[in-house]
Amino acid sequence: MGEENAVKTPGDILGRVSEYTSGRGTHVRGDHICASIVGQQSISAPAAGASDKAQLPVIEVINGKERSAVPETGSTVTAKVVRIDHRKATADILCVGLRAVTQKFTGIIRQQDVRATEIDKVEIATSFRPGDIVRAEVLSLGDARAYYLSTAKNELGVVFAKSPAGVRMVPVSWEKMQCPKTKVIELRKVAKT
Amino acid sequence: MEYVSPEGLRLDGRRPKEVRQLKCELAVLHRADGSAYLEMGNTKVLATVYGPHEVSQRSQSLHDRALVHCEYSMATFSTGERRRRPKGDRRSVELSLVIRQSMEAAILTHLLPRTQIDIYVQVLQADGGTRAACINAATLALADAGVPMRDLVASCAAGYLNGTPLLDLNYVEDSAGGPDLTVALLPKAEKVTLLQMDSKLPLDTFEAVLGLAMDGCKAIAAHMRQALLEHTRKQAVVRGPVRL
Repeated sequence: MGEENAVKTPGDILGRVSEYTSGRGTHVRGDHICASIVGQQSISAPAAGASDKAQLPVIEVINGKERSAVPETGSTVTAKVVRIDHRKATADILCVGLRAVTQKFTGIIRQQDVRATEIDKVEIATSFRPGDIVRAEVLSLGDARAYYLSTAKNELGVVFAKSPAGVRMVPVSWEKMQCPKTKVIELRKVAKT
Repeated sequence: MEYVSPEGLRLDGRRPKEVRQLKCELAVLHRADGSAYLEMGNTKVLATVYGPHEVSQRSQSLHDRALVHCEYSMATFSTGERRRRPKGDRRSVELSLVIRQSMEAAILTHLLPRTQIDIYVQVLQADGGTRAACINAATLALADAGVPMRDLVASCAAGYLNGTPLLDLNYVEDSAGGPDLTVALLPKAEKVTLLQMDSKLPLDTFEAVLGLAMDGCKAIAAHMRQALLEHTRKQAVVRGPVRL
């Protein structure tokens, strides 16, 4: 069907169902595979391990636009704590892995997910403060409002926090951070760097 | 009044089966996810698309498909007499509905469950055929936003004056009071997504007018496709080679 990397518009016929497998940005109408977005058509070899029936090259339409990163279960996210109470800390997710998110995603770190041991003795107020930047893992998609996040690993927890004096604090142990200016010590669940 | 001269020319110098000059511009507003500016002769329309994003009113969320929300408005300076228009008047509510329905027919809504797509269409200058122009602009904006669609929706109006079917009526012809037929079409599948007519027509004439309007839709679709391709090529040049 024409050039390999031709630009296609929605509704354009790309090929037959018997020739290709329909990939991203395409849909099937009758016997034909049609483009559903504007973009470049690309044909790639079938995915390894696919069943015999799917041994056809995959045809896709790609439109340079990157979709916003979306947190998934198990991905590491960077979040900013916005609110705490005695049972949970609420945080806005800023990055998924290394990619910044464009939409607002809210996460919740529950009391039992703050650290791995002695989880019944955790106090949120001695683990996070509003304004802290936290590295966390996505536990589950949570409820309709927020993702459930966890910091129950050594390398997870607060990575950046400011002291009341407005200075970036330095970690001194896995649960303490110190202000280099006033030498005041505050409690946090600190991430191991 | 004579709408077709003995030489077979209309008031604005077109032939009966001629559409007005089309001009499309894509991605005119960078804040929106997709936008398009469309001129059909002197009718000028701006369409913007936001989304797919989370449903703003949770109770409206549909678990198996996307919610399409459409708002039509006319600028105060769009007509000869400057007039303040209330947002929720009958005409604009009806037009919003019409645009939404014909877009919903094209968007692959089942691919985007629990999301919302907002389409805002604004008429900057009205000179007949605003309905068709709005639908065309909305399609282009959706295509620019990268919303998956079955096909482009192309729309065109047609009328019947002085015993002649006329394609793409302008304001003067529109206000002549003759039948005014607006059609929206999925051109590749040849499926009609919208068919509206004011006043009455005998059945055989109706079919001639409908056929003319559908031909107009196809011509407009071809032009819009061309505009999309050109825009994509330009972007490709700006961005440099695409890394996959």
